[in-house]
Amino acid sequence: MKPLTVIGFLGSTLDAGPFKAARWNKWRPSVSLTMHEDLRVDRFILIHSAQHHRLAELVIADIGSVSPETHVEPRIMELDDPWDFEEVYGKLLDFAQDYPFDPDKEDYLIHITTGTHVLQICLFLLTEARFLPGKLLQTQPAKKMEGAFPGRLNMIDLDLSRYDSLASRFAVQMAEGSSFLKSGIETRNSAFNTLIDEIEQVAGRSKAPILLTGPTGAGKSHLARRIYELKKRKHQVSGGFVEVNCATLRGDNAMAALFGHTKGAFTGAASERAGLLRTADKGMLFLDEIGELGADEQAMILRAIEEKRFLPVGADKESVSDFQLIAGTNKDLHAAVTEGSFRDDLLARLNLWTFSLPGLADRKEDIEPNLDYELDRFAEREGSRVTFNKEARQKYLDFANSKTASWSGNFRDLAASVTRMATLSPAGRIGRDIVEQEITKLERLWHGGKAETKDDLGGLLSEGTLRELDPFDRVQLAEVISVCRNSKSMSDAGRTLFASSRQRRKSSNDADRLKKYLARFGLSWAEIVTIA
Amino acid sequence: MITIDGSEGEGGGQMLRSSASLSLVTGQAFQITNIRGGREKPGMMRQHVTAIEAACAISDSTCEGLEVGTSEITFRPGTVKAGEYNFAVGTAGSANLVLQTILPPLLFADGPSHITLEGGTHNIGAPPYDFIERAFLPLINRMGPSVSAKLVRHGFYPRGGGKMEIDIQPAPLRRIDCLDRGELRSVIGTAIFAGLPYDIAEREVKTARNVLNWEEDAIAVRQLPEDQGPGNILLLEAEYDHVTEIVSGFGKFGIKAERLAKTAAMRMKGYMEGQAFAGPYLTDQLLLPFALAGGGSFTCVNPSQHARTGADIIARFTGRTFAFDQQEDGHFLVSLR
Repeated sequence: MKPLTVIGFLGSTLDAGPFKAARWNKWRPSVSLTMHEDLRVDRFILIHSAQHHRLAELVIADIGSVSPETHVEPRIMELDDPWDFEEVYGKLLDFAQDYPFDPDKEDYLIHITTGTHVLQICLFLLTEARFLPGKLLQTQPAKKMEGAFPGRLNMIDLDLSRYDSLASRFAVQMAEGSSFLKSGIETRNSAFNTLIDEIEQVAGRSKAPILLTGPTGAGKSHLARRIYELKKRKHQVSGGFVEVNCATLRGDNAMAALFGHTKGAFTGAASERAGLLRTADKGMLFLDEIGELGADEQAMILRAIEEKRFLPVGADKESVSDFQLIAGTNKDLHAAVTEGSFRDDLLARLNLWTFSLPGLADRKEDIEPNLDYELDRFAEREGSRVTFNKEARQKYLDFANSKTASWSGNFRDLAASVTRMATLSPAGRIGRDIVEQEITKLERLWHGGKAETKDDLGGLLSEGTLRELDPFDRVQLAEVISVCRNSKSMSDAGRTLFASSRQRRKSSNDADRLKKYLARFGLSWAEIVTIA
Repeated sequence: MITIDGSEGEGGGQMLRSSASLSLVTGQAFQITNIRGGREKPGMMRQHVTAIEAACAISDSTCEGLEVGTSEITFRPGTVKAGEYNFAVGTAGSANLVLQTILPPLLFADGPSHITLEGGTHNIGAPPYDFIERAFLPLINRMGPSVSAKLVRHGFYPRGGGKMEIDIQPAPLRRIDCLDRGELRSVIGTAIFAGLPYDIAEREVKTARNVLNWEEDAIAVRQLPEDQGPGNILLLEAEYDHVTEIVSGFGKFGIKAERLAKTAAMRMKGYMEGQAFAGPYLTDQLLLPFALAGGGSFTCVNPSQHARTGADIIARFTGRTFAFDQQEDGHFLVSLR
């Protein structure tokens, strides 16, 4: 066992007694705590003011006689006002930071029975914050029947995870918090659930900025609002939730919208405006599409995050706002930094807690619970409940889970889809026909009006390149490739593809023209023919 | 390696102390498990740790797992070294119990020792200093060695702070037989008090005298300097030709002076009315030296469970068992087989 050190204050009242034998008839906490048969105190840091040195000497002598094992180290600490919280906490913090604690070699008990209530509170706070790396020690006099000595003692470990019943309560609370963030939707995708559990923990403990990444419609804005509401429930924010899409903040207006302006700051500034940052004071600011923010605004935001102050347009004096920031983006901000369009120091500030929300296509097992959630939302909004018939529901889910369903607009698409179906079912029952129509609509949405999108480009081009491709080019390229694959040679394909212009021209090099066209997409004849 | 289950029998603390003594004398290592099992606060208490630490200090023994609260230790005895030793014992332990642990091995050491013990000298739950000096040590000296004790200062619970000095001149222990206490020579009683009202001692004297029918001046009041208090003990002493018995009653918060005096006096009366050599405390204390002497016998009033547990531990280390034979007059004859 490691040696045990007790840190405590000399109780100017509780530890005092007459300087004669009768003091032994009194329970004196600092002396009594060294009298317990089952607690061996190896060291006792006894803190007192110089004024009480005589009492300290007596107590030290008495501890010496009842507990020769205990080495008492008196320590002077002068408190002008032991009821002044700021002074007491400050001096104790100095003590805690100066003291060479070595928890690997010693155990510590912080005796909180003596001293003013303010002192006890400060000891508690410092122990809870682990500036004092020990357990709390609480002592109390014995019950009458037990005789005067040595009384009782209680050790309190503030590491709450050590208490089984509390740990299980916290687990329940955390589950509630996570469920809250998911709006009560019983999601099944384990990666997503782990992500939400992590966000729940971070949101509960950290005031640092949070960055939510993920494709459009993955639910960044919705999640940001839920995080705000969770924090509000836990009394960690008192202000409001301010949401702004940075893509809408362009030009001169952007600065004024974010940081406010004074009256007459510029033409049209007829009155003063607080700005979004100021409005978010003590609350939360959600900057969606933060990658779209201009360079000047980025610089101002960075300062506002770091120092909680910024200069409104036209103002001489800085404004102050203490807000928690959540940023959203569907861009690769690291790439934006490399390109020079996004500040690396701002990204560094945002990057502490980055959470990537997966698109709906990556968590298809969650489509069904979200479908029910959207139906509930519709019912709430419109005041009438709409349900699927069994066959229709199955058909919709089969489609939703199929490879054909790309869900490129993610939850936004799902929400819109449910709203359409519900609205088109006046009897409150979504049937097979409605679902079939809806599937057609979705396919048209995702595949540019062509229900059949079975082109072969997926095998030739990377995901990224495909996404960058305009539907205009995609259709053309797909047709070109299909012709190529049905031709014997590149020249043959060229003749087919440029058949009309060929007739008009005298000489032509169709193969070369085709080769150049394919090169634009990084493709070659050989690739097309072999990969097919 | 001798293995002992600490939850068996009575007197968990005595088991530990006797085992350490016997281990040092016989050179056998021991392991004791389940120390004070079944108690409200199981495991070793501070006073037990102190006693075992003292046993290690007079030898180069090692003890694994020795700490407050532990339920298992392994003690490997080294060579006992005579010399000057000083032990300070905390409030709840008694200096006398430390002496009980280290005296037997020092009786077998290669030279004289001088021991200074600080702490409680008159504590409840342990024989008081006066018993050690005038009841127990004379019998040890009769077996060969020469051990003398001097009380420098009284130490009462809770304050402690007492001090006593012991000089030990070793000699081989020889067996003795203590069957007859002899004629009563004198009776004397003292109500000692410090830092408490005088009338407490006075009431104790009065009560004891009434029970025992001793002469007017047989029991006296003795006031100690206040700084040795608070503390109070009533000592009743009957000196016979071959043995002295000392019975005590401790003043304790919440116990009336009359009550503790009456209990002590009744016990003394019971002893004096009988014929047995040893009272209950002496019975406990004599077993170990008799076993180490390799023989001997004594009569006693009624061996307690405590004494029988002590005999069991002795048997584990020495292979010798004690016979407790009840005699026709109701007393027991204790002899080593």
